[in-house]
Amino acid sequence: MADIDDQAWDEWVRQRDDPKIAANQPEALDDITVLDLSYNSFAGCYCSSMLAEFGAEVLRVEPTEGDFIRTCTPYGVLYKGEGLNYLSEGRNKFHITLNLEQAEAREILKGLAAQADVLIETYRPGAMDDWGVGYEELRIINPRLIFASITAHGQFGPVSLKGLSDYDNIIQARSASQYDTGEILPEGKSYDEYPWAIPTKAGPWIGWVESGTHMAVGIMAALHWREMTGEGQALDVASEEAYASIEDWAAIWYQGAGVVNERFGSLNTAGWLYCFAPTRDGAVFLGGLRLEMWQAFADMVGKWDEWETASWKDLTPFMEKEGQLKWAALVFAETRKYTNQELVDMSVEYARKGRLAPITPVVAPVCSPQEAMQDANWLDRGIFTPIEDPVYGKLVVAQAQHKMTETPIRTKWVCRPIGYDNEYIYLKFMGFGPHRLKELKAAGII
Amino acid sequence: MAEDTWKNYKEKKHNKPLPLKGLRVLEVCTLVLGPSGPGFLSRMGAEVIKCEMPPLGDTLRSLVPFGYWFREQCTSFFRPNPNKYWLGLDLHKPEGQKLFLELAAKADIIEENQRPGVMERWNVGYRQIREINPGIIYISKTGFGQWGRYARENRPSNDGAAQAFSGYAWMSSFPGQRPLKSRLYICDSYGAIMGEVAVLAALHYRDRTGKGQFIELSQSESIMRTMSWVWPYQHITGKGAMPAGNRDISICPADTFRCADDTFLALAAPRPEEFKGLCIAMGRPELAEDPRFKDHLTRLQEENASEILGIIAEWVRTKAPEEIEALAEKHGFSASHLFTIKDVMEDKHFRERTFVTQVDDPLLGEFLDYEFPVMMSGTPPRVNWTIRPVGFDNEYIMKHRLGKSEEEIRQLYECGALGKWADMRGRRPSSDWDGNAGLIMSRD
Repeated sequence: MADIDDQAWDEWVRQRDDPKIAANQPEALDDITVLDLSYNSFAGCYCSSMLAEFGAEVLRVEPTEGDFIRTCTPYGVLYKGEGLNYLSEGRNKFHITLNLEQAEAREILKGLAAQADVLIETYRPGAMDDWGVGYEELRIINPRLIFASITAHGQFGPVSLKGLSDYDNIIQARSASQYDTGEILPEGKSYDEYPWAIPTKAGPWIGWVESGTHMAVGIMAALHWREMTGEGQALDVASEEAYASIEDWAAIWYQGAGVVNERFGSLNTAGWLYCFAPTRDGAVFLGGLRLEMWQAFADMVGKWDEWETASWKDLTPFMEKEGQLKWAALVFAETRKYTNQELVDMSVEYARKGRLAPITPVVAPVCSPQEAMQDANWLDRGIFTPIEDPVYGKLVVAQAQHKMTETPIRTKWVCRPIGYDNEYIYLKFMGFGPHRLKELKAAGII
Repeated sequence: MAEDTWKNYKEKKHNKPLPLKGLRVLEVCTLVLGPSGPGFLSRMGAEVIKCEMPPLGDTLRSLVPFGYWFREQCTSFFRPNPNKYWLGLDLHKPEGQKLFLELAAKADIIEENQRPGVMERWNVGYRQIREINPGIIYISKTGFGQWGRYARENRPSNDGAAQAFSGYAWMSSFPGQRPLKSRLYICDSYGAIMGEVAVLAALHYRDRTGKGQFIELSQSESIMRTMSWVWPYQHITGKGAMPAGNRDISICPADTFRCADDTFLALAAPRPEEFKGLCIAMGRPELAEDPRFKDHLTRLQEENASEILGIIAEWVRTKAPEEIEALAEKHGFSASHLFTIKDVMEDKHFRERTFVTQVDDPLLGEFLDYEFPVMMSGTPPRVNWTIRPVGFDNEYIMKHRLGKSEEEIRQLYECGALGKWADMRGRRPSSDWDGNAGLIMSRD
């Protein structure tokens, strides 16, 4: 068996994967060129970000007036002329314009596609074909091309023909997980009295993000296949399927028992101990999906004897609906006695000295994003390190979400205005100098 | 045309190769964050050996909705674990560790989600594996990563902790109400797919250079990455981002509305032609030209957004969801009733695309599962078989991957390095199992 370094594991890793040293490391995808034609789709932008973070050369192709998604920004707020969502996903991409309504622009697109490895597009199914730049046309020009389409309902199937737009809140609505997330309406009450006790969607654009991230994984699997065989292919993600696919048990429950899963507040239909619990100054998450962790919680709040914890045999009685509601009330009565910090400290302490140590329940404060952004742990790990952007100045976007010893991701710039890189990219790929570019601009093509 | 590309996708799915064919993956994972990642790879053809501690195995095997077991197996266990090979391996035992190293020497990828340092204590950490296999891609997935204060305190984590820590739950609630936990294990599933982004990028790098590497993933950090505008907004304004219930504050109109029958409907119509279509559908075409609403950025401002959403809410309140859906299709905006799980499972479109797909499993019979949601024209991912009892494929893996003899295998059982299921629900085969079905080594 090989000897390992004397150095502690955490120090050894940090020395090799701290985001602070990422800029000096090689990039995993710096041999790959991506055309991102996505329009009005955060899924497409997010997908190409995943590749751009790894050093792929991403050419972000927008119509001459820019992508509508740039106007999708909270409360209509702009920063230096830019919407805040787009500002976060323009990272490391070269921004060029091309008016695909014009035939000459589509010839230029073919020239770019001939030199690209990946093309991402989000137009309604059939739109690229109508323009003469669909997969069947482009594969003749470039058989190695990976042609990735992200749409609301996919490239085939009865609903896809309707050509509907892809929006995050619609994805969430059609995934089933908005229907069964939310507070329970108290018996005998109406939505007029409890307008928040209704099916509730996630705040972040998680539907779009799941769709874009799944496509990034699909693209890289296709790249591996191409390395093996030289063959390109077409990929099809329906955003609603990507988000629906991560559901864990309701689909099996429905087909086995005919049960339609309903809202269960911040408890968990499929496990105990697993809930948000109120405290003196907010709420904490409590987790103990193994019997010992649930016992450790009972012990931690001083109920070992009173709750006859030692006699518990397994989690079965706690997982039934009635059991959960009964025990939740008992647990909440205890957690209300403490602050978030006190409960967190108790669990860390219990891991050291408790009767069942090192077993301890999971206790996590329910944080606002403002608290999260000030948390020294995340700051230390480089998630919110400001980026010095040549156009937008110093700015915080979430980054460094995973860490790697050889080819870490990095954020080189956060965003670019519309058409910012036209001169460089068209010269590099198409040989268009200032004269030609001026002509194309005058003709409304670029 | 796209029709040609996707024609007969459903019928030809199994007549095409898989994109990750030949890749060997070892998994030492439990619950959802860990196993889901290898589960994506196994749907794309990688050979995934799932190592579980015998006889109880994965903790997830106990977690079922309100006590419901599907054909005597754990209802929650299917989704993360299709197409895997099942090894009951005790990594506390030196003989078990040695077996793992033998498998690791032939592996391309290792995935684990133990707490930091545990794999190293078992002598199968990255520093030990890279000595025998420098090309290995090794990913550790935890709540807080491998270093930093929370990792040092050895805090346990799971999905709900990440929903809490990141601000994700806070942002997914109604203003003034207590933060709401998503009923999905969203930070587990999202961390898992984000982990595979890193793994496959590392694979591309290895295809080019032969070099492996270590990857660490934190589920909290992954979910923070998805929260886009929240961070620059807080940085620029100095204010905390606030939740907005079902309203999408970056797109207007985009919200969930209550219908006449007290069911709910999501609607979105931000682009000029969509908004105009909505106004016409509402019988209020003049609103599309109203200076408060005409331009998207102006419409998004708080006062204007509240006004237009109020007008839409009043209109939807008088209609059935299917009426609005029909009007949306006619006038070119987006609207959908909220799908229940029944709606998803029975949806003709999903069936036609085989996103909802029929699995014919030798042990558990026929049932519907979800396919990996990336359709690939040349190399379609698919679910071929499903979950197995602890240690179900021990013999196959020992003989065919490591060339062990019957005698060697007997000794491995004897010393406890190998083991099989406990006689417990969720661990053992279902009671109707004939002792043969599904065993790869068995004849007829």
